[in-house]
Amino acid sequence: MNIIVLFLTLSAILFAIGIYGLISKRTMLRMLLAAEINFNAAVLALVALASQSTSPATGEVVAVIATGIAAADVGIMVSIAMLMYRMKRRSDVYELEESKG
Amino acid sequence: MIALDIALTLNAGTVLFFILAAAAVISAILVVEHKSLTYSAVFLAILGMANATLFVLLGFTFIAIFFISVYIGAAVTFILFSVTMFEEAPKVETPVRIVALVSVILVAALLAIGFSLNIGSEIPFTSPSYMELANLLTQKYGLALIIASLTLITTLIEAITIARKEETK
Repeated sequence: MNIIVLFLTLSAILFAIGIYGLISKRTMLRMLLAAEINFNAAVLALVALASQSTSPATGEVVAVIATGIAAADVGIMVSIAMLMYRMKRRSDVYELEESKG
Repeated sequence: MIALDIALTLNAGTVLFFILAAAAVISAILVVEHKSLTYSAVFLAILGMANATLFVLLGFTFIAIFFISVYIGAAVTFILFSVTMFEEAPKVETPVRIVALVSVILVAALLAIGFSLNIGSEIPFTSPSYMELANLLTQKYGLALIIASLTLITTLIEAITIARKEETK
């Protein structure tokens, strides 16, 4: 049995936990944290598979760019959550329905 | 190709993997289920650290460094500080302090044992060279790098604009 299978299994477990958090929670920041677990799982799977490829540097480049983009999306999401909290005094995503447009 | 076809015998590398996997899974569960958002953000940082160590185990040292400096150092810390603005910082009670102290001692002992075993030499890996990485980043994936950089800049401006928006009355 290849050890990469273990890495991919761990990635799948982390992804499942992230999906559970995204579905079961309704606080915006908690959902963001759950999405970050998903990101961690995805990068782990990417790196594990890149280690088996013929050019691991390509996987490394993709992982680096993905990490940078993830940092950017955290900034946006936290800013939106902060604005929503200032406007509504709560961060329940169901409250966003009233803020359409 | 990175050779990782090692048998699943209980060598030090495999033991380290299982310890890190357990830490990652427990941290992920606590990120979702912990009552305090502040602690959840801290557990996300621990999850990131476990992930970075797993990258080192696979031979990708550069990604591990980048992950710790950019993702944990910037993104998770940003979440942590923002979360403390939403809710009051949770009180640290004495039992928690004792648990934290015991955890620190256990982790220090574990790391000392791990390093003394010289784990890195047991897993055969060949990390891609930095020159190859730099060439790929600047030549083949140059456009992707430029787009990522522009995304980061626009995100920064957007985040400041959104956060400074006045309350609508």
